[in-house]
Amino acid sequence: MSARLERTTFRAVGTSCAAAVTAGPHDARFARAALAAARAEVAACEGALSRFDPASDLSRLNAAGGEWTAVDARLVEALRLAVRAREDTGGRFDPTVLPALVAAGYDRSFEQLFERPAARLTGWRAGAEIELDEAAGSARLEAGAAVDLGGIGKGYAAARALDAMREAWPMLPGGLVDLGGDLALWGDTPERGPWRIAVADPRRPGTNAGVLLLRSGGAATSGRDVRRFGPDRSLHHLIDPATGEPAAPGPLTVTVVAPDAAEAEAHATALAILPAAGATAHVAARPQLSALYIPHEGEPIPLGRPPLAETRFLVRAA
Amino acid sequence: MQRIWAVVLSVWAMLAIVAVLAWTHPPAASPAPAAAAQTLVVKGANGKQQLVVVQPTAVGATHATTSTSGVVR
Repeated sequence: MSARLERTTFRAVGTSCAAAVTAGPHDARFARAALAAARAEVAACEGALSRFDPASDLSRLNAAGGEWTAVDARLVEALRLAVRAREDTGGRFDPTVLPALVAAGYDRSFEQLFERPAARLTGWRAGAEIELDEAAGSARLEAGAAVDLGGIGKGYAAARALDAMREAWPMLPGGLVDLGGDLALWGDTPERGPWRIAVADPRRPGTNAGVLLLRSGGAATSGRDVRRFGPDRSLHHLIDPATGEPAAPGPLTVTVVAPDAAEAEAHATALAILPAAGATAHVAARPQLSALYIPHEGEPIPLGRPPLAETRFLVRAA
Repeated sequence: MQRIWAVVLSVWAMLAIVAVLAWTHPPAASPAPAAAAQTLVVKGANGKQQLVVVQPTAVGATHATTSTSGVVR
């Protein structure tokens, strides 16, 4: 018997999730342990990072009124990555956009949203200070600031869950964690080749715009094709930190490939508010990234040589 | 005469061996030729000619799909 993909699917972080491992015929027990470890880690990350759970560490930090707060080590690490991503993206990704998101109407878990117009946002500015004490396991936000990790949290949790699988099964040949389309992956597939990751085509639901071949790292997609809300679904959750409002320019979706899943998601969030020219410059300045930018109209645009195996669109010759 | 029979038998034996080998070692099926990328010249809106490469549309099994995260209701 040859290796096959052992898989578990579950609901977490407000979306559909899956974890999978490459397992041989005698690896069932190890595979079960690894998959259980992945699910447990995702649940632990959600308990620390969700802004929709009033008991989460993030909710306690947001409500702390600028005081130092003891929080789970996962939140400290995710905040550290978020602050670094804010610097790496030149502020295009900003975890402190929560007041702007709430003003836009995204004030509760998406499945509980109802139609109401956006409120006026006053007194908010991007780039609020986040202080971390990793040794003490505590964090502090600038007074009046609040954090949303929606643009990096799933990637972070996927990477943590993949690490948890490798700890639970040290001889793990390969594995993948998929949190609503944000992916962390590593090692061999059952076919002993790279992971084949389809990029969904937002303009033709049920079809793919291409297939990525990946050995490790992360891939994440951000866009305004799904999470729309407000009157006539006119609003979306991609806040431009420069204005504090849902971004006007940007693609329908953008998929980013990066060495790490959290990095991929943060840069996907940043590219999702940029016009094509800006996105091209953003990726060109960061050689560790590649992306597939799918505009509202016209052909998808590969940026920075994404490892595409198959495409059914026109690629402009160099 | 004996020598002639020996030659005939050895020829038949050799043919039999070749036949058995051919039967037990069928030629490997050659892989389907991969669709090659095509280069096209298209005319843009401003009349300027542009070179584009049309990639093949091979379909294979995938392990996962990346997309904007859907909402589970």
